[in-house]
Amino acid sequence: MEMNGSQRIEAPREEVYAALNDVDVLRQCIPGCQSIEKTSDTEMNAKVTLRIGPVKASFTGKVTLSDLNPPNGYTISGEGSGGMAGFAKGGAKVDLVPDGEATILNYAVKAEIGGKIAQLGSRLIDGTAKKLAGDFFAKFSEIVGPQPLVEDAETEEAETEEAAVKKGWVGRLRDSL
Amino acid sequence: MNDQTKIDQDRAERTEKLQGMGCKRKRVEDVRFTQGKGSYVDDLKLPGMLFGDFVRSPHAHARIKSIDTSRAKALPGVVAVLTAADLKPLGLHYMPTLAGDVQAVLAEEKVLFQNQEVAFVIAEDRYIASDATELVDVEYEALPCIVDPFKSMLPDAPILREDIQDKMEGAHGPRKHPNHIFEWKIGDKEATDAVFANADVTIKEMLVDHRTHPSPLETCQSVASFDKVKGELTLWGTFQAPHVIRTVVSLISGLPEHKIHVIAPDIGGGFGNKVGAYAGYVCSVVGSIVLGVPVKWVEDRMENLSATSFARDYHMTTELAATKDGRIQAMRVHVLADHGAFDACADPSKWPAGFMNICTGSYDIPTAHLAVDGVYTNKASGGVAYRCSFRVTEAAFAIERAVELLAQKLGMDAAELRIKNFIKPEQFPYQSALGWEYDSGDYHTAMKKAMDTIGYTELREEQAKKREAFKRGETRELMGIGISFFTEIVGAGPAKNCDILGIAMFDSAEIRIHPTGSVIARMGTKSQGQGHETTYAQIIATEIGIPADDIMVEEGNTDTAPYGLGTYGSRSTPVAGAATAVAARKIKAKAQMIAAHMMEVHEGDLEWDVDRFRVKGLPEKFKTMKEIAWAAYNAPPPNMEPGLEAVNYYEPPNMTYPFGAYFCVMDIDVDTGVAKTRRFYALDDCGTRINPMIIEGQVHGGLTEAFACAMGQEIRYDEQGNVMGASFMDFFLPTAVETPHWETDHTVTPSPHHPIGAKGVGESPHVGGVPCFSNAVNDAYAFLGAGHIQMPHDAWRLWTVGEKLGLHT
Repeated sequence: MEMNGSQRIEAPREEVYAALNDVDVLRQCIPGCQSIEKTSDTEMNAKVTLRIGPVKASFTGKVTLSDLNPPNGYTISGEGSGGMAGFAKGGAKVDLVPDGEATILNYAVKAEIGGKIAQLGSRLIDGTAKKLAGDFFAKFSEIVGPQPLVEDAETEEAETEEAAVKKGWVGRLRDSL
Repeated sequence: MNDQTKIDQDRAERTEKLQGMGCKRKRVEDVRFTQGKGSYVDDLKLPGMLFGDFVRSPHAHARIKSIDTSRAKALPGVVAVLTAADLKPLGLHYMPTLAGDVQAVLAEEKVLFQNQEVAFVIAEDRYIASDATELVDVEYEALPCIVDPFKSMLPDAPILREDIQDKMEGAHGPRKHPNHIFEWKIGDKEATDAVFANADVTIKEMLVDHRTHPSPLETCQSVASFDKVKGELTLWGTFQAPHVIRTVVSLISGLPEHKIHVIAPDIGGGFGNKVGAYAGYVCSVVGSIVLGVPVKWVEDRMENLSATSFARDYHMTTELAATKDGRIQAMRVHVLADHGAFDACADPSKWPAGFMNICTGSYDIPTAHLAVDGVYTNKASGGVAYRCSFRVTEAAFAIERAVELLAQKLGMDAAELRIKNFIKPEQFPYQSALGWEYDSGDYHTAMKKAMDTIGYTELREEQAKKREAFKRGETRELMGIGISFFTEIVGAGPAKNCDILGIAMFDSAEIRIHPTGSVIARMGTKSQGQGHETTYAQIIATEIGIPADDIMVEEGNTDTAPYGLGTYGSRSTPVAGAATAVAARKIKAKAQMIAAHMMEVHEGDLEWDVDRFRVKGLPEKFKTMKEIAWAAYNAPPPNMEPGLEAVNYYEPPNMTYPFGAYFCVMDIDVDTGVAKTRRFYALDDCGTRINPMIIEGQVHGGLTEAFACAMGQEIRYDEQGNVMGASFMDFFLPTAVETPHWETDHTVTPSPHHPIGAKGVGESPHVGGVPCFSNAVNDAYAFLGAGHIQMPHDAWRLWTVGEKLGLHT
C-alpha cells in the first residue's frame, strides 16, 4: 500500500521538526497509541491498538527515525506484530517545506500488512490508512499549530474515534447523508 | 384385454414397484437431510472429548525463530500444545502427500504459506482452544516470498523447500531447480513441431485457469479416539476416500491397519477438498494417542479456504495448428502448474498432471504434445480436482477456448469448426494422440440436438443485429454466445495406469440378501451428497428384482465396507456402480440354481422376468427373488452352501468418456461490466441413466459451481503472499439470487465396457460449464478486438475490459 499527501501546518518549520521528534507529541498523534518509550534518540518501542475492518489487534513494535535532516525532514518507520491478527510494517518519508510563516508537510507512506488483518481487511486498508494519516495530522496540527484546520473532506473523515463514538450511529448516519 | 396385454401390464407394474434403473426415484437420504437429521462429524460428542485448534502463520514465507507456548498452557482449560518439536521424535512433523511429496504437519524451521499450521492447541472446549492460539508466541523472521509461479524457477529465486533442496530427483523424475517439482511430457514433440512449422494457420494463447477452492459447505474435520487398552484407533472424519485414509494412517502411525477404524459419516459436500490428508487429522490422532481421550478438530471457513487443498492454478500456453479450411492438425500445450508450498495434489500417483492429456477434447487431432512443469510457490498446497476428474476442467478449458480462438482467426463459425473436427461415431473406440482410448461417443447427434433446441442460427442472427446496433450507439449491451463441447475422462481406473500410493484404483460392492428378501449393500465409495444410497439401490433393484426400498446402502465404515478407493473424479458409478452390477449378477446366478432346484427343473429352462425366475413357456410357474432368498438360507440345493451374498472388486478395463454440448447466451452491460446469463442449455451424454432426477440435480450443482469459477470465484494472493479470498466476503459462492436458470437435456450413448453402460456425470457440468461461460463472455467482446479475456469474469474485470477498449466515454 502506498499513499502520498501533504498537510499545511500553521507553525514554523523548526517547530514542526522538533514536534516530529517529540515522543510526547507522537504519543498523542499516533492513532490508538497505548504507549511509546524512547530507547535511544532515534528508536522507540510502541504499543498501538488498531481496528481494521472486523479485526482489532494490539501491535507491539519498534519505531525508528532515520535520514534525519533537520529541519527538512526525516523518515519514520515502524514494524509491529499483532500476534494471530497479523503484522504491519511500513514507513513515511516526511519533507518539510516553508510556506511563509507556516509549513507544508509532505509525506509518502509505504506500508505492508500481513495475516488476518490483510485477509479480512484488505478492501478496507486504503480507507483505513487514509483515515489514520488524517487522524495523525489533525491531531498534530492541533498540537503544533495555533488552530486546527478543517479544510477538506479527508480531514473531515479524520474525525477522532472518540468523537464518532459520542455521536453514535444515528449522528454518523446523518453526517453521511 | 388379451393375455399378452395382461402379461405386459403385470410386468410393467412389477417393474415400477422395483424403482430400478431409469426411474426418477426420490433421494432416500433426503428424508434425514431435509429434516436436519443428518449425522456429521461435528455432531459427534464423546465423553471426555477435547478440542483442537491451530496456531497459523501470518507470513507467507518466514523462518521460525522461536515458539513459546507457556502463556497458552497457563490458560485454564488448555490441556496441551503440540509443536513440530513434539511431533519430530515420532517422525510425524512431516507426512506423505498423495503426490509423492511430503508436507509439514506442523512447521518446524520455516513457514511456507500464510495460515500454515504452526502449533496445535488442545483444550476443554472450542472457545478456550481458539483463545489459547492467540497466546502462543511465535517469533518469525520474514523472508522474501514467491507468489507468481513464473518467478519460481528464476536463478535468484529464494529456495522454498529447504527440506528437499538437495534432492534433485523428485517423485516424477529430475527437478530442474530447487523450486521445481516435476516435468511431465507426453506426445510426439518432433512431429507436433513439424506440423506447426508448416501450418496454414496457428493460434497461441496463454490461458489461465485461475486458483480457486472447492469450498464445501461443511469444512474438513475429524475426531480421533485412541483406546490405550486395546491399542485401537477410531477416526471419524470428512473423508471422500476412507479406506485410503486408513492405509495412510497405518503407514505413518505404525498402527496395524486392522486396529484402525476409519468412519466417514454424512458429509456435507466434498468436491475434491476432502480427498487428501490434512494436518488436522494427524494432530487430532496424535492428541488422542498422547492424552488417551478423544480429540476433535473442526476447520473454520477461513482455514478451509486458505489452508486445505485448493484447485486449478494452471497457466496453459495453448497452441493449435490448422489448415485454411479449418481442419485442426496439431495441438501443443505447455502448462506451468502452481502447486503451492507442497505437492499435495490428489491425482493417481503416476499422473502428476492428472489427466491433462485429455486436452485434445472431442476433436480428431492427429498430432499433439503436452508438457507440464510443476513448481512450488508460497501459497497453500494442493491442486485437487474440484468437481472434475483430475485436471479435466483445465484440459477442457484449454481446448474449448483454443477452438474459439481458432474459429475467430479463421473467420469461421465456432460451432461449424467444432463439428468439422469432431471424432466421428465410427471412429470409436478412438485412440487419441495423447494416449487415451475413448470408449464411445456420438458427438454429431448431440451437437445437432443442442443447436436445434437452442435455436443457434437465430441466436447468431440476433447477435449480428445487436452488434450493428451497438456500433450505431443504440444499445450499451453486448450479446455473447458461449459454446462448449467437452469430453471428460472419468472412472479411474484401470490398474495398469491408475493407483494411489501403489493401491490400484479398483472399487467394490458387497451385497447381502437377508432371508426375508431385503438387502444390505456395502460400498468402497463414499457419498458426499451424490445420492449413492438411492442410485446403487436402483442398480441392484433392476439386477436382482428386489424393490429399491428394501435395499439399504451403507458406506463409509472401513470395518464393514469392502476396500475401495472412494468417491472423486466421477468414479463411483463407473467403478463401484460396475462392481454393484457384477456382484448382483453373481447373486442372480446363484439364485437361478436355487430356483431351478425349487421348481425341479434344469437351470437352462428358466428365464428372468423382472423380479423372478420362471419356467420358459410356463409363465405361471415361477419363484420370486424373495422366495429364493428364503430358500437360499433354509433349503439350498444339496452340496450348495447356504446364504445369498456376493462381493465384487471391480477393476475397470478402461475409463468412461462422458460428453456434452453446452450453450450459454449472455448479455453484458458494457458500462457496468455486469453479465446476465439469459439462457444456459446443457446436453449431457453419460451413457445409461440410472436416475434422471439425480442426474438433473448433479447437472444443476455442477453448472452452478462452473458459473462460480468462471464468473468470479478466486483465491487470489497479494504480492506479500496474503491470501485475499479466504472468506465468503471475498470468495464468490453463488446463491439462488445470482444463479441462472438451467435447461437440461440428454442423449444416451452407453459405455461398451461398463456392465450397465453407465458413465460418470456429477462433474461433467462443471468441466463443460467453465469454458462455456468464459466463451460466452469472450464472444461478447470478440468483435471489438478484445483478444482473450482471462477468468474470472466478475463485473469489475469486465468493466476494465470495456475501459481498455475505450468503450466508456
